[in-house]
Amino acid sequence: MIKIFFGGLESMEILALGAESVIFTINRWDKQFVLKWRQTKPYLHKDIDSQLNKTRTSRECKMLTTARTLGVPTPAVYSIDLSNHTILMDYIEGTQFKLLADTLSTDKLTKLCHQFGYFIALLHRGEVVHGDPTTSNLIVDTKFNLWMVDFGLSEMNATVEMKGVDLHLIHRALETTHWDLEETMLEATLAGYVDTLGEEAKETISRMHEIRERGRYH
Amino acid sequence: MSLICLGLEGTAHSFGAGIVTSNGNVLSNEYDMLKTKEGGIHPREASRHHSELGPTIINRAIETAGIDYNDIDIIAFSRGPGLGPCLRTTATMARTLALRLDIPLVDVNHCVAHIEIGCLESKFQDPVTVYVSGGNTQIIAFAGGRFRTFGETLDIAIGNMLDVLGREIGMGFPAGPIVEKKALEGSNYHTLPYSVKGMDLSYSGILTASKKLHADGVSLSDICFSVQETAFGMLAEIAERAIAHTKKTELLLTGGVARNNRLADILEGVANRHNVKFHRVSPQLAGDQGAMIAWNGILQYNAGNQIAISDSSVLPKWRTDDQDILWRA
Repeated sequence: MIKIFFGGLESMEILALGAESVIFTINRWDKQFVLKWRQTKPYLHKDIDSQLNKTRTSRECKMLTTARTLGVPTPAVYSIDLSNHTILMDYIEGTQFKLLADTLSTDKLTKLCHQFGYFIALLHRGEVVHGDPTTSNLIVDTKFNLWMVDFGLSEMNATVEMKGVDLHLIHRALETTHWDLEETMLEATLAGYVDTLGEEAKETISRMHEIRERGRYH
Repeated sequence: MSLICLGLEGTAHSFGAGIVTSNGNVLSNEYDMLKTKEGGIHPREASRHHSELGPTIINRAIETAGIDYNDIDIIAFSRGPGLGPCLRTTATMARTLALRLDIPLVDVNHCVAHIEIGCLESKFQDPVTVYVSGGNTQIIAFAGGRFRTFGETLDIAIGNMLDVLGREIGMGFPAGPIVEKKALEGSNYHTLPYSVKGMDLSYSGILTASKKLHADGVSLSDICFSVQETAFGMLAEIAERAIAHTKKTELLLTGGVARNNRLADILEGVANRHNVKFHRVSPQLAGDQGAMIAWNGILQYNAGNQIAISDSSVLPKWRTDDQDILWRA
């Protein structure tokens, strides 16, 4: 791990390097936190870049709290810096679901996926979409509880179309990342979704199938 | 001894015949694109174009390659995805040649062929591919025996968006090159819908919003500038996500829209940021043409992949990830 000193006060270690941000762990007030930093992308037009970083930082901050209000476990936010595009939040000790999936028994895997579907259903019931619902954005903590992170692409006032896209993205993530387990995982996730929403789920699921067929030659 | 493959491409408005050897030498690559006044493709007109010009283009490919029909060892054809009538016309020519010359027939996936010809040219082993054209916008990478689509457009393809925009604001067809030229003169950025969802994206919002900018009197050059910066920025972001996700070390840009210099610049920026190699497929191999079909035909044939005439019906909706990529296994 690389150690970086910020302002000479606290030591930070890089936890993960994502496509759009760097995730640090940081010690403060005798507690461990995560600092998420969205970096400037030199290849983007500067107006687009600053607009994206600003919107996504403030949106993530707000939606982490909204999601928790709806019953989805997310890290709590402590502070936000909109000029540097950083958020200080809870550190969830655990492993990305993406890295764990292959190692689990079918029973445990199904249980986690069912819970994933349940979380998505809670968001959708609250007219919220996650926007990037992949197994990389789910953390399994040391007590085997599931957490949802990365709400930078999340949106409120979700329509059926937006919810359909959310489900489509789950399907997409499973087929590209967990192709051997795709069927089991998709089935369990959708089961968790339907068990929670009942009849309400039907329209969104049929929209998901419809979306999958778009964007191709016809 | 090296094998010689004749590849026929005809999924949309272009018909192409290319001849490639198993050493990876492109001996010829002849093609013609149906041009219409208003732009857009009528499948029946395009298929008539293919059947009328096909034999001449094939003959020209044979002549340019300096070979004889009897020198051909394999016939490959674009089986899909694409427009039904175009695919059927092309497949009919391929089957006829395979029967007449009594040589094996190989069915090639158009999207996979774009990736593999790019790998041949760049010597890349295992890239993240950005495939952008009039009909397709996909981010593809090899995983678990198949080329998997990590991201794609949820509505219209980027080339289609540029063409429709060009038609709506009076720039002619194909509009891509004109948009690129105009954009160089623009400098004022007008905000357009930036729509990235996971690793997928959507272009229809840009189309609607830029038509509105046009109605509001914004100059063509500023519209083109803003459209390019937004549309290509979105592609760069999902390419970056795919690189971060797959941890691959090569980035390949292919398809007709790969000819755009600004797009290549932006993607090169992505590659530099992640310290991965970048290659843009050269113009003559970037668009739809027969050489890519021929090269894929060779890869497939060498992996024991060929098809009986009776099983060779076309697949207009053939997904990239539907084919087992035996030659990479």
